Amino acid sequence: MDCNNFYVSCERLFNPKLEGRPVIVLSNNDGCAVSRSDEAKVLGIEMATPAFMAREIIEKNNVAVFSSNYTLYGDISDRVMKTLGSFVPRLEIYSIDEAFLDMHDLDYTDLLELGLQIKKAVKKNVGIPVCVGIAPTKTLAKMANRYAKKHRKSIGVHWAANEHLIKEMLSVTEVGDVWGIGRQYALFLKRNGFNTALELVSAPEEFIRKNMTVVGQRLFNELKGIPAIAWEFKQPAKKNICTSKSFGKLQTKKEEIAEAVSNYAAACALKLRDQNSCCRSIVVFLQTNLHRTQDKQYSRSINMDLPTPTNFTGEMITYALKGFDIIFKDGYKYLKCGVMALDIVPDQKIQASLFDKLDRKKNKTVMEVMDKVNKSLGKEIVRLSTQGFQKRYRLKTEYLSSHFTTDMNQILKVKI
Amino acid sequence: MNTNNLSTEKGILSYDCKVPAGFPSPAMDYMQERIDLNKEFIKHPLSTFIIESSGYSMINAFIPPKARLIVDRSLTPKNGDIVLAVLNGEFTVKFLKKNIHKCWLVPANSKFKEIEITEEMDMQIWGVVTNIITNVNDVKSCMR
Repeated sequence: MDCNNFYVSCERLFNPKLEGRPVIVLSNNDGCAVSRSDEAKVLGIEMATPAFMAREIIEKNNVAVFSSNYTLYGDISDRVMKTLGSFVPRLEIYSIDEAFLDMHDLDYTDLLELGLQIKKAVKKNVGIPVCVGIAPTKTLAKMANRYAKKHRKSIGVHWAANEHLIKEMLSVTEVGDVWGIGRQYALFLKRNGFNTALELVSAPEEFIRKNMTVVGQRLFNELKGIPAIAWEFKQPAKKNICTSKSFGKLQTKKEEIAEAVSNYAAACALKLRDQNSCCRSIVVFLQTNLHRTQDKQYSRSINMDLPTPTNFTGEMITYALKGFDIIFKDGYKYLKCGVMALDIVPDQKIQASLFDKLDRKKNKTVMEVMDKVNKSLGKEIVRLSTQGFQKRYRLKTEYLSSHFTTDMNQILKVKI
Repeated sequence: MNTNNLSTEKGILSYDCKVPAGFPSPAMDYMQERIDLNKEFIKHPLSTFIIESSGYSMINAFIPPKARLIVDRSLTPKNGDIVLAVLNGEFTVKFLKKNIHKCWLVPANSKFKEIEITEEMDMQIWGVVTNIITNVNDVKSCMR
């Protein structure tokens, strides 16, 4: 299952006037187009086009522009995924707008009908248009989804139910459009005379053995209808966590960047606690804008090993700021800073250090209370003073819509 | 302090303190779960949205000039339902009146006209209004 132009569809749900009008949603910091309505695609606005480059098209065609409202998209995504969950025993959430549904154990004989029901339910109950592709393997299902979007637009569902239908689908899919084949590899395959996925599947065993890695062979099997990519029903705990964003405008002041570093360290600590883990080391980094050749350039990072693994906001901030103090140099215009939590371990398996001065038990309780209060009363109601309140470095979100579903003060207002 | 007592289950933050036991309470065996408004008013959380309405067109349907409405998208709109509709791109809340031939959006205030949906119009039902939430203070300020 794949949502159609997901971010744009979320904006349209609460702003029906946008129906039929070209709409784009910009990435963090209002940089590039990351979601485009069909009308915007027709105008030639490409994915990842920087907004300033498309300005002329935007103005001439009255394109509606939005900053990304991840609070809204996250909630709508959750509703979509849970709605899908009522149709199948297991599903794997692949991204904010894509999921694999395991249809193996279902009694349905007509999976196309099931696909149609799924599509209809998500559209009606949540309000988001989606496409469904059904096939024996993940790679073929992705392809079927693409096929549904391109060739079965009016139904939005495609079931590659038998060999004949799979063959037909493979024959109209270029190798570069196969899930998992990158641009370089697609070029290599084309040079060797494989243009469509069907030609690739019919490649001699010899060629495959010689020219493909383990990953490539897995993909080859998937295309043949033999499942080779494992299901991941539970999201694995992250191996490292990074919080980093570009500043809304270039920053020169140490205190303001320090505030950003504190906030990113706090965000890392929260992510760690959410997955019940701690980190053994922290990286802080800082950089100027490489594309501004007129400016002096500087970029540095520092890696600090912690005496005891932690996920405490206060401790993380202390170390992050120590590192920041070492790498910061006056006189540069900074674009970006970030904090990474590395070497992540489960929080029960922590060996205390002999020289630990911190009362870890007490700190843990404080963090638990803080998280609970913040979760029920609002994000960051309780925070450390170094995190500041103004967030002057904050991202540009000039065209942000409301948090319609998560903030009582921002719900949809209707004049009746 | 045991943080497990900090209950946020029902969206209400409360600190339940432990009361040392004296005689076992005779109510022990009769305890039931406290009423949960979310559960009562929101039957389908995944398809339910809350909106804020303002205006007088539905005043006789007991929707005051300022109200919060619970809207469920999963319900199929029937004749006589109060619906959140999208009429030519604009949201509105009205009674839905329909028969096999025609369909109307009907206000609950004689000062407003009912709207017959014709073929040129673009009308969609966004969801069905299931509950009206009113803050008494908003009503008081209207009476003044």
